[in-house]
Amino acid sequence: MTFEVRIKKWHAVASWTWNAGDDVCGICRMPFDGCPPDGKYPGDDSPVVWGICTHAFHLQCINRWLQSQTEQKCPFCRRQWEFKQAVVGGEDESEDGAGT
Amino acid sequence: MIRLFSVREKQKKDAAAAANGKTVKQSAGELRLQKDISELDLPKNVSIRFPNGNDKIMNFEITLKPDEGLYKGGAFLFTFAVPTGYPHDPPKVKCVTKVYHPNIDLEGNICLNILREDWKPVLSISAIVYGLTYLFLSPNADDPLNKEAAAMMQQSPAQFERVVSQSVARGCSIGGEFFPAARGDRSG
Ligand SMILES: [Zn+2]
Ligand SMILES: [Zn+2]
Repeated sequence: MTFEVRIKKWHAVASWTWNAGDDVCGICRMPFDGCPPDGKYPGDDSPVVWGICTHAFHLQCINRWLQSQTEQKCPFCRRQWEFKQAVVGGEDESEDGAGT
Repeated sequence: MIRLFSVREKQKKDAAAAANGKTVKQSAGELRLQKDISELDLPKNVSIRFPNGNDKIMNFEITLKPDEGLYKGGAFLFTFAVPTGYPHDPPKVKCVTKVYHPNIDLEGNICLNILREDWKPVLSISAIVYGLTYLFLSPNADDPLNKEAAAMMQQSPAQFERVVSQSVARGCSIGGEFFPAARGDRSG
């Protein structure tokens, strides 16, 4: 059941929007220095993680997605998802409390 | 077709949302949907309606009036049912205006990849609206839900065009099935 939609083209535009200095998790759309909707407190409870593709999400958010999938792929770029050390991630912003 | 909100606009909205964030307790899915809707920048041929009131956002309706293509002049009503697992689970979308379209069956089921196997939690209501708009602009006969419509589109495109525009504008019978004029109401 595949319908060919030019969504790839659109998607490139969308990910540019969301990544342009926007410190918001692409899944829950909550700020990285806040907490995802299921987390109680920002900070240690809601770490931000990066994939080797440089896309970042709240740990809870990406975990929930990966658990629901048979193939482990980044929901932004569909590349194979592998966790990358947060400190060497592609983002230059420091996340308040995430690393303390 | 879709004007993506600017980052600055979005930050302002986020700040506003954060300021009045501690009101009613909402589910994670509802919170995410609320963000989607507040960021929704619909083109003028698309409108949204909350039939159960503006505080019951998990079920809503979208009306699409294609401004080009074969379905131009028609109005098509879609119902969206957003699951609590949103955005991990995609919304359930139906086309409740009966339409002769290769990718929509007579029950209103829609064959659109991002509503099924290609859904990703970084997508949003905007992405679906864009997908639906595209579906009405470019019906696809390769992977049909309405096989008869797909066959006609492939074998006699001129007839398909005629039949579609007639059903959309005035309503007509196609292969023993009546398709009322597409006025954006429930006919499916
Ligand atoms: Zn998140
Ligand atoms: Zn990625």
